[in-house]
Amino acid sequence: MNDIGSSTNSEVTLALTGVSKVFPGVVALDKVDFSLHSHEIVGLVGENGAGKSTLMKIMIGVSQPDEGTISRDGILISPKDPSDAIRHGIGMVFQEGTLVPNLSIMRNLFLCHEPGFQKLGFLSRRAMREAASRLMEEVKVSADVETSISDVSPAERQMVEIARLLWLSRLYGQKHPVLILDEPTTVLNDGERTILFDILRNIKKEASVILISHRLQEIVENTDRIVVLKDGKNVTELPSANARISEIEQLMVGHTFSADRYREDEQTPAGAEEVLRVENLGRRGAFEPISFVIRKGEIVSLVGLVGSGKEEVCRCINGLENADTGAVFLKGKKLLMGSPNGAVRAGVGHIPIDRRNDGLALGMSVAENVNLLVMNRLKVWGFVSPPRERKNAKVWVEECRIKTPSLGTMCANLSGGNQQKTVIAKWLSSKVSLLILDHPTRGVDVGAKEEIFRLIRKLAREGIAMLIMSDTLEEDIGLSNRMLIMKDGRFVKEMACPPGKKPGPRDIIDAIV
Amino acid sequence: MTLEGGARKSVMVANGNVSGPLARAWRGLQKTGVAGQIVCLVIVMSIFAIGTRGKYLSWDNLQVILSLAGIPAILAIGVHQTIVLGGIDLSVEGVAGMCIVFVGLLLKNKLNTNDVGLWIVPVVMGAGGIAGFLNGLVITRLRIPSFISTLGLSWILAGIAVYINKATTVPLLDTQIQGIVNGSFLGIPFIALIALGLALLMQTVQDKTRFGGYVYAIGGDEQLAQQAGVRVNRIKIMVFVIAGVFYGLTALALCTQLGSAHPRTGSNILFPAITAVAVGGVALTGGIGGAKNAALGALIVTALNEGLVLMSVSPYVQQAVNGIVLIAAVALTIDRRKLGFIK
Repeated sequence: MNDIGSSTNSEVTLALTGVSKVFPGVVALDKVDFSLHSHEIVGLVGENGAGKSTLMKIMIGVSQPDEGTISRDGILISPKDPSDAIRHGIGMVFQEGTLVPNLSIMRNLFLCHEPGFQKLGFLSRRAMREAASRLMEEVKVSADVETSISDVSPAERQMVEIARLLWLSRLYGQKHPVLILDEPTTVLNDGERTILFDILRNIKKEASVILISHRLQEIVENTDRIVVLKDGKNVTELPSANARISEIEQLMVGHTFSADRYREDEQTPAGAEEVLRVENLGRRGAFEPISFVIRKGEIVSLVGLVGSGKEEVCRCINGLENADTGAVFLKGKKLLMGSPNGAVRAGVGHIPIDRRNDGLALGMSVAENVNLLVMNRLKVWGFVSPPRERKNAKVWVEECRIKTPSLGTMCANLSGGNQQKTVIAKWLSSKVSLLILDHPTRGVDVGAKEEIFRLIRKLAREGIAMLIMSDTLEEDIGLSNRMLIMKDGRFVKEMACPPGKKPGPRDIIDAIV
Repeated sequence: MTLEGGARKSVMVANGNVSGPLARAWRGLQKTGVAGQIVCLVIVMSIFAIGTRGKYLSWDNLQVILSLAGIPAILAIGVHQTIVLGGIDLSVEGVAGMCIVFVGLLLKNKLNTNDVGLWIVPVVMGAGGIAGFLNGLVITRLRIPSFISTLGLSWILAGIAVYINKATTVPLLDTQIQGIVNGSFLGIPFIALIALGLALLMQTVQDKTRFGGYVYAIGGDEQLAQQAGVRVNRIKIMVFVIAGVFYGLTALALCTQLGSAHPRTGSNILFPAITAVAVGGVALTGGIGGAKNAALGALIVTALNEGLVLMSVSPYVQQAVNGIVLIAAVALTIDRRKLGFIK
């Protein structure tokens, strides 16, 4: 595969020049250049928030660049939306998929582009079947083309999407289609992964591929060239042929981080009392049995890539999923598995990654959200007392420094950071003993981040045990007392992070990847 | 090098190595996509055949069932498309009431001298279609969920219909349409043949046209359909227009069968129609089931009720049985994997 020579000789088919994109408070892309040759597979790597997805969104017209140009075979284009981008032969296979589940493979392949199969207003099933079967053969899917999408495996869905994009590019007469694959292998098993790369290698004869993946190994093995992004900027690009994974990691992580940002000096040692005990907790297909303990006031980071099983571990602890084996004890008492209600009653708080949908009742006021879990305590003679409601809400709004015009303001009208602080206030108010924080600083601005870090330190001082999954390694290292590293569903390594003697990201990344 | 999908495995198990005429018949039945409904119909009919010692299967009784099933089937074929779309249409009774007023005014009757004859067919289709267009506009332009918007339109049209007609019963004198609605061909009631024809027509549209496919795409996932380039609003409006046309035909058939036009004639047809659609296997979550399901659902419900009548079961018990069948049918057909919370 590593025939870098042939691809550099071929012409540039897609070029982004000086592309910048600013979102409120964040520079997502800062004068990024990117070029793709025909018949080339390029790997795009970078940490979360490095700007990979913004760059992709600009290529397929989901967002428009503030600055910079996109050219296709030397001609400037500005795709307005994905259907416009596909007319220029640029298509993307999304992680979540874009196929309509109740329609057949065949109907999905040609959805909205059926006129070629029409005779006198009626679609020719035979012609569609033939064309669909031929396409499915190309991507090596053997399912009958009239199987509905909801009945085929994630791997096959991905193939159908790839086939659809190739077909559309041909339909629009594009000679050099560009396929963008966003983390295509996360839903695949080893065998399926091999098949995917076989097919991509085959597709290379016709198209170019941009591959986004966190699995650096597969990037190095299956691409011609690697482009590294960091903090919205081009860092470098290198041929895959002689790239070393450690070298790429260093490029991705780059700078050293500032210790004080995470209030390391406020880090308190773990208490003696055991708050959470996880014993042989396992879930088939997600993670192998894992055991660990979190003590009073201790912050433990669960570190691993997407698909490492860390999310599922947390979901089993807070009852959103049922484990197959093992048990979870909170302060010595066994938790009822698979019951979010049981977990909350026992004192497990959960700050979800998607606070707008899972963490808050957006249509309710700040006060109502803060009081949601403690209504029982606010009762007088069996009825919730409005003065008590106000009092409790006021205490926690001040405590957490939630910036809100009033207690009655709807949560939907708060900024992301203040919404997150409201979620934290809700759990603080209910006196939890364990808090699971799922990417607590995702999508909040720098100032709010600091506040959230301050709150986390405060929670630890008050003796609340915490299990954290963070956006970045730095955050994991900076915040936690201890890190548990997971890889491919297995617990691989434990690392202590005492203040002043924190390990560097490079020490950890080896264990993760 | 194959990617294994769960579906094929289950198909393989179903096909298995079993052969013989029975297995082959079952496989053929499954290909129709309404195997469950046909089995259900056969079970219902067998029970009554035994219960009435064969009287239920007499040609006379079968004719009665077919003639009674015709109108509910036409209505169900109309309503079901809005459900496939992922919405619902509750405006049936109001639209029918409005159309019946047109019938009472224009068809040969005892109260005025109008007589448009067969032209009444396009008139009711047009009136129903316009009502459907209004439904579609309110849903797509004002962005009001179909449950509310169509319910609202139903009240509006029912109110206007009674107001115009002053709640009088108009005796109809027309014999031409009555002859069609009540007549038969080779012993098979015309109305059943019309329903069959419309079911086949609609099913063909659903299977063989782009429009039909887009309706299913919207029912499956509206956002994804839009991303793929489906003009969602346009398709929605078209579906409600077609549904309205079917309500117009239903209204015409209803009052000519009775021989009189009163705007309240169609005031108890909505819930039986939705029952029929659900029993036929059209998922209320959208995207699944076609005209053949709707028509078969109407036939099953009619066959069930006719059997209960023949066995002199109290009408109240009949209602209860209908309720049981409805819940049982939906429990058997819905795909719970796709449902998040049940509201």
